[in-house]
Amino acid sequence: MKKALSFLFALLVAGSLHAYVDDALSFAYEAATPYVKKGFSVREDAWGGDLGVKDQQAVQAQLFKGNEYWFCLGTDVKGAVLSVNVYDSKGNLINVETTRAGRLSAVRVEPKRTGTYYAIVTVHKSPEERTGWALVYAYK
Amino acid sequence: MPNILNAVLAAGLLSAATSPLRAQKPPDAVDLSSFPAQSIDDVVVPVPSEIFIVLDKLGNPNWRSELRDSLGRQSGNRAQVALLLGTVIAEGFVAVEAEDSEKVKDIGRRVLTLSKAINVEKAVLERSKSITEKADVKEWLAVRKEFDGALQDVKAAMQELGDDDLAQLVSVGGWIRGTEVLTSIIRKNYTTDSAELLHQPALVNFFTKKLDNLSNKRLGEDELVERIRKLLAAIAPLIGNGEGDAIPSENVTRIHKMTRDTVAAITSKGA
Repeated sequence: MKKALSFLFALLVAGSLHAYVDDALSFAYEAATPYVKKGFSVREDAWGGDLGVKDQQAVQAQLFKGNEYWFCLGTDVKGAVLSVNVYDSKGNLINVETTRAGRLSAVRVEPKRTGTYYAIVTVHKSPEERTGWALVYAYK
Repeated sequence: MPNILNAVLAAGLLSAATSPLRAQKPPDAVDLSSFPAQSIDDVVVPVPSEIFIVLDKLGNPNWRSELRDSLGRQSGNRAQVALLLGTVIAEGFVAVEAEDSEKVKDIGRRVLTLSKAINVEKAVLERSKSITEKADVKEWLAVRKEFDGALQDVKAAMQELGDDDLAQLVSVGGWIRGTEVLTSIIRKNYTTDSAELLHQPALVNFFTKKLDNLSNKRLGEDELVERIRKLLAAIAPLIGNGEGDAIPSENVTRIHKMTRDTVAAITSKGA
């Protein structure tokens, strides 16, 4: 899925990106904007794809103890309800704070250990059969 | 009382209707093993500054002393150039931590030269200019973002050219140089907290898998690529089995020596 997004990024360079990923990514970056003002650096790399209703996608992330992170999710589908939650390698929820507004969702985490974590994206409801999503993260 | 109960129920229903996520509180624990493999995406490779800023919080590293005098030579071999480009971009993050404008600008120019050698110069032209402009006015957060952007732009341009293998080598090169710097700093003032930053099993697995599955056979048999495969295999058992496991200082020293020697091989090959 991530590979697919990278390929789509390449198409963006060529100026012919599918609008849905472009839009979802724009919303993900929009979700991250408030945290930039708080000193967070937003990564240029991203995950993304599309999911059916009730489907989930887990993305692996290497997080470091001592940093704070915001995972910011965007979707291109108006009226869709998505969420992102972060779990440690044993499957325990580590969300500290969550926000949601329209097509944007975000979760803040402060890992207690350095290691592998999983951000799980879920499409709860959507007017479309497939719902485009993009996820970026910011760190401080 | 029934009226109060009705009011509470109505408020609850309204809340559920207007805030769907509240009604769908995430489970406190999930069984990750139940996720099908195709539903788990690869790890995004962290940029060195994600680790470096933790070191800043733990102490006061001498970043300037970590900078290399020479950024290395290109041999003309595309694998070596891609790996070298990764090490140079990683050096950019070190120079940002050192707040060394001249070094940052030098690195920005070198990124452009190396990109030209593998036909992705156009993708980083603007980034290179921006690195110089922002280094001149010491906007370090912005310079850091430009290096991250340059890395992604180079990889995207390579993928567009059908060179996904080379794009992976840029990431690997950057990670090796970043790990060399990380271990250099940790071993000078060892603490279990700082050594824990080396616990990166998902990344080591990710790189191993990528290098084991390069589509270009010639690239897969490249001397440097083979050396890096061995490096990853040697590092894997040294970075802790479980989260929170202490990584002893001997392991830090061993990883430092291995990554330092590999960076030297990448930067001097063909010289």
